[in-house]
Amino acid sequence: MSKPVLQIENLSKNYMLGKREVSALKNLNLTVNAGEFVAIMGPSGSGKTTLLNVIGCIDKPTSGQVLLDGIDVGKMPENQLYKIRRDKMGFVFQTFNLLPYLNARENVELPMEGKGKSKAEQRKRASELLAMVGLSGREGHRPQRLSAGEQQRVAIARALANNPAFILADEPTGNLDSQNKAEIIKLLANLNLSQGTTIIMVTHDSQAANHTERMLLLKDGKIVKEKAGLHLAKKNNKCPNCGSSVQRTDEVCPSCKKPIFQTEELFST
Amino acid sequence: MGIINRAIRNISRRKIRASLVIIALAFSMAILVSIPAGVVANQKSANDLANNLSNTIGQTGETINQTLNQIDCSLAPSFSGFGFRAADAGTFTPGQGGIGGTRSGGFDPNQFGGGTVGGQFGGGPFGGGEASPMNQTLYNDINNSISGVAAVEPILQASEGSNETVSMFGRTFTRQLTSYTIEGIPLTSDLIDNYPVLSTNVTAGRNLKAGDSGVVLLSENNSAYFGVGVGDTVSILGQGFTVVGIHGTSSASDRLVLYMNLSDAQAVTNNTGYITSLRVFTQTSDLVTQVSTAISTLHPELTVTTGQERLTQLDSLQSTYNTALESAQASIGQTQTTALEEIIVVVAATSLIVLFVMLYTVRERTKEIGTLKAIGFSNSSVMGQFLLEGVLLSVIAGAVGIAIGTLAAPTLSALLLPSVNLFGVTGVRVASNVASTAVVSVNLEIVLLAFGASVALGALGSLYPAWRAAKIRPAEAMKYE
Repeated sequence: MSKPVLQIENLSKNYMLGKREVSALKNLNLTVNAGEFVAIMGPSGSGKTTLLNVIGCIDKPTSGQVLLDGIDVGKMPENQLYKIRRDKMGFVFQTFNLLPYLNARENVELPMEGKGKSKAEQRKRASELLAMVGLSGREGHRPQRLSAGEQQRVAIARALANNPAFILADEPTGNLDSQNKAEIIKLLANLNLSQGTTIIMVTHDSQAANHTERMLLLKDGKIVKEKAGLHLAKKNNKCPNCGSSVQRTDEVCPSCKKPIFQTEELFST
Repeated sequence: MGIINRAIRNISRRKIRASLVIIALAFSMAILVSIPAGVVANQKSANDLANNLSNTIGQTGETINQTLNQIDCSLAPSFSGFGFRAADAGTFTPGQGGIGGTRSGGFDPNQFGGGTVGGQFGGGPFGGGEASPMNQTLYNDINNSISGVAAVEPILQASEGSNETVSMFGRTFTRQLTSYTIEGIPLTSDLIDNYPVLSTNVTAGRNLKAGDSGVVLLSENNSAYFGVGVGDTVSILGQGFTVVGIHGTSSASDRLVLYMNLSDAQAVTNNTGYITSLRVFTQTSDLVTQVSTAISTLHPELTVTTGQERLTQLDSLQSTYNTALESAQASIGQTQTTALEEIIVVVAATSLIVLFVMLYTVRERTKEIGTLKAIGFSNSSVMGQFLLEGVLLSVIAGAVGIAIGTLAAPTLSALLLPSVNLFGVTGVRVASNVASTAVVSVNLEIVLLAFGASVALGALGSLYPAWRAAKIRPAEAMKYE
């Protein structure tokens, strides 16, 4: 139904650790289609970060193929890779990584630099995106005057600036309290629903991962498990709790009366 | 949000650090501005002094050549140097104290008095003072009994003025400030028509003529001093004279001289029967030696100076001048070497300051740079960002430094450059503007050069840090502590 935005085939990545060669990823295969909300999970040392770096065009595969939006990035030199990072993906970091001396709008405008857009266009796009993540009216605030949750919203807006093929989020909830964590996950889920934004989220937070539509478990450099998350039911207009039909706009299931987006689970931790 | 805007915000983000760096860089730039200004001023002072000296020597030589048939005789006080009145129609009056006597010799005493060179031109700091009066009967002796004499001009010269104490080069001198000098000469048609005894440059009214009495020819300076013009009556030492004309300055030495009949001058100065000098005109210039020997034999008490002797003295002056010029040039050369060394140190220091500050900044902002790389900034745009920051920092400091340097150039160049020995006047720093004609000042050329240097040094210093920044991996964005 959808075209793949990420295709990984037989990906292996080896590191030299002193004189010993360590295999971080072993013949890994993964396909993410446009419009998917995917969580990649795994304990530390499972190869999560390596996979993230390869997908983010920061590390090069030892062998295998990585196609981003159909482009083979495995052998691409750095003087072209920056364009892939700029145009095909939007990074969201655990620590938000906003530039402290720029306000929210200017942070969102950053990736649009060098895209040949006029200042007015950049400004308009940034304002739209900030409105989309619920921050209209806070455009002129610098990061230090925004809460952690708000900062991550700005970062998400920034990731969307160039209309990327997918958002690559690295532990996006790792530095947030449970309420903000729930809100950010909800925001990502809503973006996925309403805008069709493809999201690849690397996390070790099982609760956050559970609210995606597809969870992949990475272990020893391989994907060992894959299961559906709560978001899938919602995408199919089903209540994740009782399975009865719901509208996308419903907050509470008309049948079982439980919240469709189970943020309380996130709150409780 | 442009790259320049970001650079400005980054600099202003850390105000104290930026201020300290800018102060340090600005100081370097101020030095960079001051040193060339000092060198330029040194060079200019030397040139001005050299030109001044050589012009005077040349003029004097010309005058002496025109007056080779003249012999000056006076009862002079002992006199260490040789004085001359540069172009007073050949008047050469050792006893008059040359330059200093009327504060109007060939040289500006403000530049040469008291120095080694000054000593060459006057007996004391400002000349040897008045000559002793002698009996006018000497005139008849020389005029009548020595063969080869064409004419003798008896002269009475007397100056009126006040004393002034001046400090110069750390020494204190009392100098006579002459208000005017009376020069009385016999107004006979023989002398006036045939010999250069009067001013040749009458600018108003008429010159003195034979038989004039009770009248004066004032200099322009006298006219201003007394506040009178042609046709007015001027009171000199209590006696009234009619101003018949005004003469312009044909040489520095006749600037203060008013001319009148010898007998009027003798009467008004209470010197009846006395003169201060005799100027002997020989029939031909090759008779000068013979006549001067005869005068000396007849009146050994007289100091006799011939044009030939004056030429010899001028030659010795020329060689003194040449030596002084060489040593001044060597001194200037030394200053330039020192200036160059200092500029190299300052340039190195400036770029090193930029280098270290920018390296520190890049290190501190590793994560930010990683983030920029991760969200799609190219190596070259990251490099450009940091180059621009370094250049901007340096340019701000450059502007401040140039402003400081422009104001403080005299002080800074005096501190940084060695003392310049200009024509024997040692220990005088040009910057303090004591013995110089040129003030240390920063011109547009130096400002533009310094501004260019601040851009270049900013770029040079931040090149390596910017390159380091460009090499930071995007993975740095994902390092969490």
